[in-house]
Amino acid sequence: MADSVVVDGLVKRYGRRAVVRGVSFAIEKGEIVGLLGPNGSGKSTILRILGGYLPPTAGAVSISGIDVASNTLTARRHIGYVAEDAPLYDGMRVGEFLHFMAAIKGVPAAPGAVAEATQRLDLGAVFGTPIGKLSRGYRQRVAIAQALLNDPPLLILDEPTNALDAYQVIAVRGLIRSLFGRRTVLVASHVLTEIERVASRVMILVDGQLLTTDAMRETSTARHVRVRVGGPRPTILDALQQLPGILGVVPADAEGYLVEVAPERPMAADLAQAIVARGFPLLELAEVKPDLERVFLDLIRRATVTDAKAA
Amino acid sequence: MRTFAALLLKEERAIFTSPIAYVVLSVFLVIMGYTFTLTLFVSHVPTLVHLFFQIYVLFLLTIPIITMRLIAEERRLRTIEILFTAPVSEPAVVFAKYLASLSLVVLMLISSGAYAITLGLLGQPDWGPIYSGYLGLLLLSAALVAVGLLASSLVSNQVIAALLSLSLFLLLWIIDHLGWMLPDPFDALVVNLSLLVHFTPFATGSIFFSDAGFFISVALLALFFSVRAIARR
Repeated sequence: MADSVVVDGLVKRYGRRAVVRGVSFAIEKGEIVGLLGPNGSGKSTILRILGGYLPPTAGAVSISGIDVASNTLTARRHIGYVAEDAPLYDGMRVGEFLHFMAAIKGVPAAPGAVAEATQRLDLGAVFGTPIGKLSRGYRQRVAIAQALLNDPPLLILDEPTNALDAYQVIAVRGLIRSLFGRRTVLVASHVLTEIERVASRVMILVDGQLLTTDAMRETSTARHVRVRVGGPRPTILDALQQLPGILGVVPADAEGYLVEVAPERPMAADLAQAIVARGFPLLELAEVKPDLERVFLDLIRRATVTDAKAA
Repeated sequence: MRTFAALLLKEERAIFTSPIAYVVLSVFLVIMGYTFTLTLFVSHVPTLVHLFFQIYVLFLLTIPIITMRLIAEERRLRTIEILFTAPVSEPAVVFAKYLASLSLVVLMLISSGAYAITLGLLGQPDWGPIYSGYLGLLLLSAALVAVGLLASSLVSNQVIAALLSLSLFLLLWIIDHLGWMLPDPFDALVVNLSLLVHFTPFATGSIFFSDAGFFISVALLALFFSVRAIARR
């Protein structure tokens, strides 16, 4: 599938301070990609550069094949952008704001697009309400509605569930998920569980550097297998720990164990073979889906160790 | 063109739904009415020269209030991020804000036309200086609004933007007094930066291209630097 977004060697400096340091990634059409990182890691800066709001110090960014730095206005026609905390014109009414945004985006059939976005984000009840009087949830929905007006191939969302209540978070999450396959979505957040629930791929950014472009397939991170083996627990635990490539074993439920396997080792087949070869009855073996939290912490730990060594 | 029309309409609405516009307009008309009545009944001379100089001073004081929020507020509320992730250019945004602010100032000038009409009804004024006076005020306000816009584009605090443009206006008002104290050729250079030096001929019935060129140059330069200031994010 063709790449919708290509970022190559992106650098952003404010004076001497580098906020983004050599970031490169690509996003295919229809993907929902999460950009995860702690506050101040440079997520918003990358999104602002992609949105054509900030110029990069170095590197190249293209959206649908259009270079954002040299062709900013054309590139902006291909994006819908929702900024962090949904900055909006408080004095405008919702309908007035959506019509204004449709006009400046050059949407050909503006009334139809506004009606569709209003219906999709369920804004009918507040269409005539001044934005300044809306709840945070409604504000966020208005911000997303304006981003969808020009039917953009790429939707950029910066912390879209920030400060929303649980019900609103579920609604926004559902909306993002509904876009899968139809639009490319890049969503940034510092909330790990949010990213995990909406993104089909997760990139991790720490201190302006991209640690991985696909955290869930991070092969250099230890993987986990859940096994159920018959026999006395101390003997099984001891035997499992002595198998080649096993980094750790934690007892789980009855006859169950969570086995941490070295990343370079083949997993299920080898482990099953080794257990059976030692004469233990193998009752169940299943690969555990990588846990984003574990991957995130592991990557940060490794990055810190590397930085310390370099220093 | 449609984009620009939308931007202009948004700015016009922002200005004319704000109480600031009506407060400024009311204060302006009350002070002008008082000056006009007093001058006419004391001097019995059908002229608007005093009025023009009064408007000149009032513009120096009120235009910073009109222009202070234009870009500073967009920066503070981060709505500038919405504008510049949409396909709109910096010159379009700056020019829309400029024209909208200028329209309020022009409305103030048109309102003051009531005094000219009154003068025409009560006496036989010399219309030449009145026309030139209004032309001078229009050019002056074009330059002041542009400078006010520039000040607003440099900071994200409205009050600082207003103080910055007010300071600049006051400096350009009195700069000729400083200029006279300087040696040749600096004296002419500094004196020619004075707003009053270039406005006085218009108010008294003389039109010089150099004076008009000064105001137009200031306006264009300020608009150019406003665009540069917005582009530097």
